[in-house]
Amino acid sequence: MSEKSLAFIFPAFVSEYSEDPGRRLPGFPKYFQKFLHQAAIRVSPDLEQFNFHTRTFLDDELKTQFITYVCSCALSSYLKDEGIRSDYCAGYSMGIYAAFYHAGVVSFMDGLELIGRAFESIRKVTRNAPFSMGTVIGLSREDIVGIIKHTGSSVQITNQNGICSFVLGGKEDEIRRFLDAAKAEGALSTRVIPVSDPYHTSYINPPGSDHRMIMTGLHFNDPMIPVVSLLDSKILHDEMSLRDEIIRNLYTPMNWYKTQLLLQSRGISVFIECGMGKALTKNSKFVEGDAVFLSPDSPGFIEDLEKIKPLL
Amino acid sequence: MATITENTKKEVKEIVYQFFAEECEVDLSEINNDTNIIKDLDGDSLMFLELIEIFKKKYNLDIELKTIGKYAVKHPVQTIGQLIDMQLLIIRHENKLLELEK
Repeated sequence: MSEKSLAFIFPAFVSEYSEDPGRRLPGFPKYFQKFLHQAAIRVSPDLEQFNFHTRTFLDDELKTQFITYVCSCALSSYLKDEGIRSDYCAGYSMGIYAAFYHAGVVSFMDGLELIGRAFESIRKVTRNAPFSMGTVIGLSREDIVGIIKHTGSSVQITNQNGICSFVLGGKEDEIRRFLDAAKAEGALSTRVIPVSDPYHTSYINPPGSDHRMIMTGLHFNDPMIPVVSLLDSKILHDEMSLRDEIIRNLYTPMNWYKTQLLLQSRGISVFIECGMGKALTKNSKFVEGDAVFLSPDSPGFIEDLEKIKPLL
Repeated sequence: MATITENTKKEVKEIVYQFFAEECEVDLSEINNDTNIIKDLDGDSLMFLELIEIFKKKYNLDIELKTIGKYAVKHPVQTIGQLIDMQLLIIRHENKLLELEK
């Protein structure tokens, strides 16, 4: 793995669109429209009406998830056709579906099917209580665990983005109370994420639930590119481990911070964020190491890409 | 307690202006002390954190993020001018920032 140097990272489902993630890429709109058209045929004809500027579907979590997936898949295909080949790929949270598409594990259509089925499967177990998620910046893990213990809160840490950057999930009222407590403890920033399901928590996997049926009838292949798990930072090479990963990813906490460090220690020197916005690229500034993060949403993306091409 | 000179004030202002111009993709001329970081520049908390780290390194500051967080709860920052004032207080008082409340 030490010879490898480029990883494609696929961001999570969004709750806000960026201006237009492909606006700096000549020819990208055609890619986006092609994927959007296929998605409209498969899951919902009105997806064709999507427009970044009118913020279409932001009030519809499932359609926003489809749009995020469409955008990520279109971007990775565009970059691939431009000669940018990734040595590894990883899906940040629900970016896993686009990572699987990029690695050739599932077809674009089956990825859409997985998203829709996972959404319904999760809703079956979370529909009886209002859930939410939130972010805390400026406190350590010890601080956060301390607040949870001290307040008797049942919120769960679902992800660590950096030394002092965390995501939490749980019941809606508990999340709000926790964020207030975190602010009082000295958090620089807290924010409620506008989602209704507590992804990566045990609430998604109560006793008796079984999400494996979301894969029924869908075809999985061995990956053409190794996929990196954000759950335990392992490299996934085969179909069976990927099937397991797609289910565990729904209810298992992840650690993006640890995964980035591990990937860097194994020789990854360039990460390209394939999706809407540049949240992961921004976050990388707070992670140790010399790896370069590039986002198509950043002003110098094309120039940066040309600079690193000869090094790959 | 560090002494804040006119040169420090100028330097902090330049760094803050330059930082937001680059991060938010706006022309330097569009930024002034009354510019609202969220509403006018679409800024976010990660930018605030990054700026703190920049100043911590530049001035070798001994300050915990939690101290800044607790101060910011009572003195929320909305504009570029308020942010510059807070950075100057951080440079001057470091971990004793909260003693200003007493």
